[in-house]
Amino acid sequence: MKLWDDVARIMISEQELQARVKELGQELNATYTDEDHPLLICVLKGAFVFLADLIRHLEMRHDVDFMEISSYGAGTASSGVVRILLDLERNIEGRHVLIVEDIIDSGRTLDYITRNLLTRRPASLRVCTLLSKPSRREIDVPVDFVGFEIPDEFVTGYGLDFAEEYRNLPFIGVLKEEIYRNAEI
Amino acid sequence: MKVPDAVDGVVLDEETIAARVRELAARISADYVADDDLVLVGVLKGAFIFLADLTRRLTVHHHVDFIALSSYNRGTVTTGEVRLIMDTRASVTGRHVLIVEDIVDTGSTLDYLLRTFRARNPASLRSCILLSKPTRRQVEVPVDYLGFEIPDVWVVGYGLDYADRFRTLPYIGALKREVHE
Repeated sequence: MKLWDDVARIMISEQELQARVKELGQELNATYTDEDHPLLICVLKGAFVFLADLIRHLEMRHDVDFMEISSYGAGTASSGVVRILLDLERNIEGRHVLIVEDIIDSGRTLDYITRNLLTRRPASLRVCTLLSKPSRREIDVPVDFVGFEIPDEFVTGYGLDFAEEYRNLPFIGVLKEEIYRNAEI
Repeated sequence: MKVPDAVDGVVLDEETIAARVRELAARISADYVADDDLVLVGVLKGAFIFLADLTRRLTVHHHVDFIALSSYNRGTVTTGEVRLIMDTRASVTGRHVLIVEDIVDTGSTLDYLLRTFRARNPASLRSCILLSKPTRRQVEVPVDYLGFEIPDVWVVGYGLDYADRFRTLPYIGALKREVHE
């Protein structure tokens, strides 16, 4: 069974993604200088594909670091508080920090991560997300760079998963309904 | 293409890497077509670009997971022993595991990874490595899918760093000797 057979339709094609990621890279080039030496923080797992493409367009000196987080469970969902499984390798005090996200949905997790990182006193903190679902937003978290605003549909590919699969689709797609139905049984 | 002053020249350009990653992905897709439960384990930070490109060229169902490692230090000198900082999210027992690494040098890190994962009783265990420096090898380690064999020069880019620098160059370049000596 081929992976692509499960896709109902492509929402954002590989070419559209690549063109927009390049534009975002140029926006970042216009924002940061070599001197700023920004640190890009990737929140795993979803954003690693986006990050891998984004950095190829950056012209200023920069570093990358990773965080992995997990939810504490049902009771804490509304606070956005998450458990940090992998923290940053280095101190970010005085650094220009850019959080790189795959998608912003309710905004709660991002809001918590932002607050957590701000306690470490970075010189600046901005957010760059590939996708945003504004209709789902519950917390008004500032986002500085947005690839695409999309409607409230369940999307996969380019780092975004459904039950840990389909992350590797090179486009943003919507899965066939039977894939969800089968998973619910 | 901007080449920093510290970099001597391009060892592998973007097109050469992309073509090889496609070939590796085609082989892996063919080899695992009958297997249900494949998980690619990427080793942070170095492998994330390779993994992002490799995973998108696979045509078989698979999961992606990450681990992070560091080295034990004695004073300021690394002992070469590996410390696991972050383990995989999901269990690998009974699953087909493919370790994805940027480079195999002495072989001690890959040897550690293979021993660690073998002890977890996966259905199968293989490694996919972008670069290998065979002349540096101290521990014999099996590499099932290899991108390129390279000579013993300090390479940076496409995930590989020098003191955390040059990691995100889109090609693989050789660092000038005076920079790392």
